[in-house]
Amino acid sequence: MTKKILLSFPQKATGQPMAMELIKTYHLDFNILKAFIDDNIKGTLLLEIKGQEADIEAGIVYLREHQIGVRDIESVVEVDENKCVSCGACTAVCAVGALEMTADWSLVHHDDKCLECMLCVKACPMRAIHAII
Amino acid sequence: MAKTYQEINEKIASGEAVVVTAEEVIGIVKERGVKEASEYVDVVTTATFGPMCSSGAFLNFGHSDPPIRMGEITINGVEAYGGLAAVDTYLGATQPSQDRGIEYGGAHVIHDLIAGKEVHLVAKSQGTDCYPRKDLDTWVKLEDLNEAYLFNPRNVYQNYNAAINGSSQRLYTYMGILQPNMGNITYSTAGELSPLLNDPLLKTIGMGTRIFFGGAQGHVSWMGTQFNTACPRDDKGYPQTPGATLALIGNMKEMDPKYIRGAVYEGYGTSMFVGVGIPIPILNEEIMAFVAVENKDLYTNVIDYSVPKKAKPTLKKVSYAELRSGSVDINGKSIKTSPLSSLKMAREIAEELNNWIKKGKFFLQEPIQSFPMGNTIKGLEIKEGESR
Repeated sequence: MTKKILLSFPQKATGQPMAMELIKTYHLDFNILKAFIDDNIKGTLLLEIKGQEADIEAGIVYLREHQIGVRDIESVVEVDENKCVSCGACTAVCAVGALEMTADWSLVHHDDKCLECMLCVKACPMRAIHAII
Repeated sequence: MAKTYQEINEKIASGEAVVVTAEEVIGIVKERGVKEASEYVDVVTTATFGPMCSSGAFLNFGHSDPPIRMGEITINGVEAYGGLAAVDTYLGATQPSQDRGIEYGGAHVIHDLIAGKEVHLVAKSQGTDCYPRKDLDTWVKLEDLNEAYLFNPRNVYQNYNAAINGSSQRLYTYMGILQPNMGNITYSTAGELSPLLNDPLLKTIGMGTRIFFGGAQGHVSWMGTQFNTACPRDDKGYPQTPGATLALIGNMKEMDPKYIRGAVYEGYGTSMFVGVGIPIPILNEEIMAFVAVENKDLYTNVIDYSVPKKAKPTLKKVSYAELRSGSVDINGKSIKTSPLSSLKMAREIAEELNNWIKKGKFFLQEPIQSFPMGNTIKGLEIKEGESR
């Protein structure tokens, strides 16, 4: 299975051979989609991990044991429904149809389609769309 | 048989008025025909909810002790006009803040005031014999102000261009983000629900017309700026290009923050989403025929916004039904279309206005003056020379 997770590293958790452990001990493949991380500074890492379900779960347990925050992510953008007015301006820049208008002209967010171009964040006049990282 | 405003208002008072939205009325006219429908329906509600830059608020703060003649004024860091009387100001919707720029501007202050939030008022003055105070720094809420009313010089455009980008660079415009190489088309309209497209010749909408304005009962106060009733029209009279506009007035203290919202157009500036609903009295068959218009019969032009001139080239004339379909074909290429104004919210407003009328809380106001037809707009000539 494939899963997208967002890791958050507190300062003290940086500098560990996290990637090596995930590959060697838990047999996981992963793509680094976004990274904001330096030694000795807190950071975030967006990973798409591939492997057996049990291995993924064990790998996540390992990360959490080492004070690394793990959050399941479908998409790196979130739409605040209280702010959104369904104007449609974001759909103009969403090339993959992750943001589109329904038949009754409400905005719908298919987060599995999102390619994380982030243009919708800029396009939203209500500033209702924000990036998680 | 023709009806009068008074007869319709009597029906509203007795709870007998038949009120439908401009979308619902299309089916009624198809089913019953114009003549029978015009006898059956009394009022058709229209609405729009979209970005309207030419908007702002007149505010009166009341006098402090000792009093000040406010010269330089900021509210939450947004400059307001200091050229009126001592404690009067006009706050423009598109004015950016001094600290956050376009991300927070006049429209956001107006929204925050309507939402009941406290705002930071700072004013400076040179001091005069009658107004000795030289500076002021305080916090105020909408309820603390004497008067606070929106006076928007140009709202509810009767038709507007659709936008495309023929250049190789991405454009950031008031028509949203336009992708290069004709990557997308944006448009802004409530189409067949739009107020001024349902009364194309302004037979019922004029000075004094009572409206739904930001959740309050407001009025049409004047013709809007850049009022262009001499625009090209189809054989029935519907404008093919931007046409009439309206100046609107309404009490902020009666408004709902849901219907007045600050907006940011990346790389362009701050704007304000304004919710407006206008009732159209079905006085006769002619008016009934006008409100039965459908998106397939309303047209606008796709304009290339990459040309940095006032006169931008038109690439195609399209109907709102085509724009709403999700794509438009230009030179054999299917181009994605996206709206900029919220039809969902416009429908909510039309429904809300409908409820007000059905419950006898809103009555029709006959215009005290009609607006001129054949009005043209002028450009601005740049004249050389320092003095004349």
